[in-house]
Amino acid sequence: MKTVLNLILSHQPAAAVSKMFVHWNQCVPNESILIAYGGTKSEFDAIQHNQKFFVDDPRLRTRDHQREFQSYSRLFQAAAEFLERQGDQFRFVHFAEYDHLPLVPDLNERQIERLTAEGADLLGFHVHRVDGTNDPHFLYHMADDKFMSYWSGISRRREPEVVLSMCGSGSVWNREAFRAVCAVKEPFPIYMELYLPTLAHHLGFRVRDFGEQNHFVRVLKDETSYVDHAREEGAWTLHPVKRLWDK
Amino acid sequence: MDFASGEAIVGQMIRKFIRTVGLKIAQTIGTPIKDFPSGRSLGRALVIPWRGKIHIIGLKAAARPMFQPQKRLTYWKQEIVFTEHPLPDFPNIRKTERPSPSEIADD
Repeated sequence: MKTVLNLILSHQPAAAVSKMFVHWNQCVPNESILIAYGGTKSEFDAIQHNQKFFVDDPRLRTRDHQREFQSYSRLFQAAAEFLERQGDQFRFVHFAEYDHLPLVPDLNERQIERLTAEGADLLGFHVHRVDGTNDPHFLYHMADDKFMSYWSGISRRREPEVVLSMCGSGSVWNREAFRAVCAVKEPFPIYMELYLPTLAHHLGFRVRDFGEQNHFVRVLKDETSYVDHAREEGAWTLHPVKRLWDK
Repeated sequence: MDFASGEAIVGQMIRKFIRTVGLKIAQTIGTPIKDFPSGRSLGRALVIPWRGKIHIIGLKAAARPMFQPQKRLTYWKQEIVFTEHPLPDFPNIRKTERPSPSEIADD
């Protein structure tokens, strides 16, 4: 039985996606990979992989992601529909952007083990509680009155004011949490790094952090030159690795 | 398709450069900011009162401002300190048999 669906978001040319597959296949089974493609339709058609779907959503194709409230809702919903069509084959979902590189051959096993040990429904990188803080994404959303009242309206929890943040490049979900989050229609544009963990939290799911693995998930500096070094240091994954498929 | 003029691009680069240098200065010579309960360093930032507001420039950590509790009552001075939320460790309340806290009536 396949256990983890590896959902990979890419917008790179088909040739680069082929190289990416060669690398990913060293870490996870090929039949567990589902490609969500945000590039051009012609490149999408050229990708040699059966499990793929095209995401034609302007909310995904943002340039200034934070200010334009980049959203993964449509792509997650398409993945949830795929999950349904597969029956009970996949119990977990591992989401990764194309530049979030897997580094270990037993990646999914480690992720399930950590998820189970934490009793978590969603594992993310750099998970923080940001309400009431100077977190720039939180403050940007607080300028909209609807933001906090939305969480109050849907929360199952005693503290509806809690807002969580996580790095959006990679996450691991159990099936129930992923489906529940995908079933909610995004009420108005909310940046996905706040929306996804906060929604999961207020639906009653347990959101936890990858702990020591956070060290290998950064935001700005390209890590392509440090792949081997990171693996030696104990990294399961590394982000951002943007130039590996250019070689 | 619209393209930005060379002048606009250079202007943008200059603004970005000035911001980066300004941030570097703030994070080098600014006031050390600590997490009040633990004493852990949250980095340095410039704290500038201006027109009835306090501007925080260059602070990287997501910190909450709060007035410091006082063991000695003073009517003339209060202190604003910073603190971070603890790492999220909320239980799954879908698996609990009792209703979620938000569904329990207060009366």
